Amino acid sequence: MAEQSVDVEPAGQNLAGEAPASEPEGVTDETTVHDDDVELERTIGLVGGLAIGIGTMIGAGIFVFPGLAASNAGLAATLSFAIGGLIALLVALPTSELATAMPRSGGGYYFISRGMGTAYGSIVGLGLWLGLMFASAFYLVGLGHYASAVFAELGVGLPFSPVIGIGLLFGAALTALSIAGTENTAAIQNVVVGILLVTLTGFLSYGVLDAFGVFGRSSVPGQFFSRGYFPVLTTAALVFTSYLGFAQVATVAGEIKQPGRNLPLAMVGSVLIVTVFYVVTIFVATSAFGADRLGQFGETAMVEVARDFLGLPGAVAILGAGLLATFSSANASILSASRAVYALSRDALLPRRASEVNLRYGTPHVALLAAGGPILALVVTGQVELLAEVASFLHLIMYGLMCVALIVLRRRDPEWYEPSYRIPGYPVLPGIGALASFGLIVFMQPASIAIGIVIMVVSYLWYRYYAGDVTLKGDI
Amino acid sequence: MTDRPSILVPLRVLEGESVPEGVPDLLANVHVVLLGYHVIPEQTAPGQAQMQFEERATARLDDYEAIFEEAGATVERRLVFTHDGQKTIDRTIHEHDCMAVLVPNATGAVDEVLVAVRGTVGIGRLARVVAGVFGTTDASITLYHVVETEETDEDVETLLDGMVDRLGELGVDESRIETRVERDRGPLDAIADTAEAFDAVVMGETDPSLVTFVFGMPADQVADRFLGPVLVVQREPASDERED
Repeated sequence: MAEQSVDVEPAGQNLAGEAPASEPEGVTDETTVHDDDVELERTIGLVGGLAIGIGTMIGAGIFVFPGLAASNAGLAATLSFAIGGLIALLVALPTSELATAMPRSGGGYYFISRGMGTAYGSIVGLGLWLGLMFASAFYLVGLGHYASAVFAELGVGLPFSPVIGIGLLFGAALTALSIAGTENTAAIQNVVVGILLVTLTGFLSYGVLDAFGVFGRSSVPGQFFSRGYFPVLTTAALVFTSYLGFAQVATVAGEIKQPGRNLPLAMVGSVLIVTVFYVVTIFVATSAFGADRLGQFGETAMVEVARDFLGLPGAVAILGAGLLATFSSANASILSASRAVYALSRDALLPRRASEVNLRYGTPHVALLAAGGPILALVVTGQVELLAEVASFLHLIMYGLMCVALIVLRRRDPEWYEPSYRIPGYPVLPGIGALASFGLIVFMQPASIAIGIVIMVVSYLWYRYYAGDVTLKGDI
Repeated sequence: MTDRPSILVPLRVLEGESVPEGVPDLLANVHVVLLGYHVIPEQTAPGQAQMQFEERATARLDDYEAIFEEAGATVERRLVFTHDGQKTIDRTIHEHDCMAVLVPNATGAVDEVLVAVRGTVGIGRLARVVAGVFGTTDASITLYHVVETEETDEDVETLLDGMVDRLGELGVDESRIETRVERDRGPLDAIADTAEAFDAVVMGETDPSLVTFVFGMPADQVADRFLGPVLVVQREPASDERED
C-alpha cells in the first residue's frame, strides 16, 4: 500500500478569519491519512462508484429527453446523444487522471483550485454547487411529469397540472430525508440502478428487434437529418445534462477504495454504459413513432413508446422506472451538492458553519438545506429545458477547465503530481476535450448562457469579497 | 516488537463508549491497539466529521491511552472516521496484525478465565493470546471444550493436553490450568452459560467461512449474554501475496 503524498499547502484567511483546513499527509488504497494517526476510511467500491455515476445520469437521458430531443433534431437526435457521450468521454479520461492524482472530496473543484488557483476554483466550486441545484431541480420537474402521468394513467382528472407541486413535494421530502435519515442509502442506490438497467435492457432489446422488423411490423421510416444539421448540435447541448453524473463520482473521490483503479473505471465505465443506453433508446423511440409524434408526447414520451410495444404492462413498467430513475438522480445530485458545499467550506471559500454536522443525526444539515432550499425555488419555474441547460453550462465550464488544469499540471510537472493513471494522447486529447466542452456552450439558448455567465461573475465577485486572501494552488 | 500479543480495543469514541473498568488491568501485559472510530451516515463526508470532531475525539483517546499505559500496556492508537465501522475494524486488525479483538465490557479483578477451545485450527494463536494476557497473572485458566458428535474421547484428550502443553511452553504454570469437557449441547449456549461463573472469556473467531467479521454472531452473542470482557482470537491472516 504505497502512500501517496499530497503536497499542497493552502494558506490565507477569509473574511471571517477562517483558514482552509490543512491537507492530509497521504492517501492509501483504503484511507486518507491525517497527522499520522487520524484516518478517513474509504468505503465505496467499484460497484458503488458505477452506481453513483449511472444512477445520476440515467434519469435524464432516457426518461426525460427522448421526446424533447426528437422534436428538436428528428432521428438525428441519436447523433446528438452520441456527440454528448463523446464529449463526456473526452472529459472523463482527464478527470480520471486528475482524480487518481488527487483522490479528495470535491472533485472538479478540487482539481482546478489546486491546479489553477483559488479564483478559477471559486468559479468552478460555486458553479458546481449551483449547477447541481439546477440539475436536481431539472430531475424533480421530470419526476413531477412522471408522477402526473401516473395520475393520467389512473384516470384521475385534476383541474390543474400537478407537475410542479409534485416536484416541490419530492424536493422537500428528499432534503428532509437526507437530513434525518441514516439508512444505508448507497445499498438502495445500487439496487435501484440494477433494476433500471435490467428493465431497460429488456425493453430496448425488444425495441431494437422491432425496429428491424423482426416482429413483422413496419417501423416508421424517418429521414435522418429531418430538421437539418444545426439542431443536432443545439440538441447535443440540451441533452448534455444526461452526462453530468460521472463528475459526481469525482465529488466523492475521497471515499472511493483503491482510487487509482476504481476512479477511472467508474467514471469512464459509467459514461460508456449510459451512452450506449441513450443512443439505443433514442433509436428505438424514434423508430417506433417517428420524430414528429414522439416530440408531441413531451417529457414522458418513453411511456407511449412502451405502450406501443407492450401495451399497458409496458407503460406501467416504464412509468415505474421513470419515477425511480428521476428520483435517484435528484437524490444523488442533492447529496453531491452538499459535498460541494463541504469542499468549499473546508477551503474557507464558504463559512465553516456551512459544513457543520448535526449532532443528532450526524448529517450536514446546513449544507443540505443550502442545496435543498434553492432547488425548490428552481422547481417552481418548471422550465425543463432552461434548468437542464444552465446545469450543463456550469458543468461544461468545469469540464473544460479540468482539461486545462490537466495540461497545466502536466506542463509544470510539480513533484506532488503523480497520477497512477495517465491518459493517452496528451496534449491533443485534453485539448480537444476543453475545446469541445466550451464549444458546446455556444449552441445553448441565449437565456441559459446569460444565466450561466451571471453565476460565474457572481462567484468570482464572492471570491474577491470573501476569500481574496486564500491561496489553494499547489506548488507548481 | 516484543512478544506481547497485539490486542485491538475498538471504541466508538464519540458515542460515549469508554474504556470499561477492569479492562486496563486485564490488558496490562499486551500491546494495545486502541482504535477510536466514529461512524457517520453516508450524507456526510468523513472529512466533514473530522473537521468538527477530531479535537474532542483526540482528547478522549489521549486519556484512554494514558490509562492503558499506566496499567502497563504498550499502546498504539488510531482515530478513524468511517461510513462502515466493520470495515474499519477488519482493516485495523489486518494492518496492525492483531491477534485478538476485545469486546470491551467491564470486569472486576480477573481470577477465573474461560478459554473455549474449539479444535486444533488456530490453537497456536489461542495459546499465545492466553499466555500473553494471563501468563504472568494468578488467574486460573479453564480450558473448555464442547464435544462434537464425531469426536472420540481420545481426540478430546489429545486436543486439550496439547493446549496445556503449549501454554506450559509459553511459561504458564500448568497447575493453574484446568480442563472441562461438555457433551450433548450446542457450543454457543454451553459457552454462554458456563461463562457466567467466570470473569473473562477467550474464544476463537467462529465460522471460518465468514472471512470478514469480528463481532459476527457467535462471539457477539456470547458477549451479549456474558456481559464481561471477551477476547476474540483472530484467525491467521490469509497470505497477502495477491495484494501489493
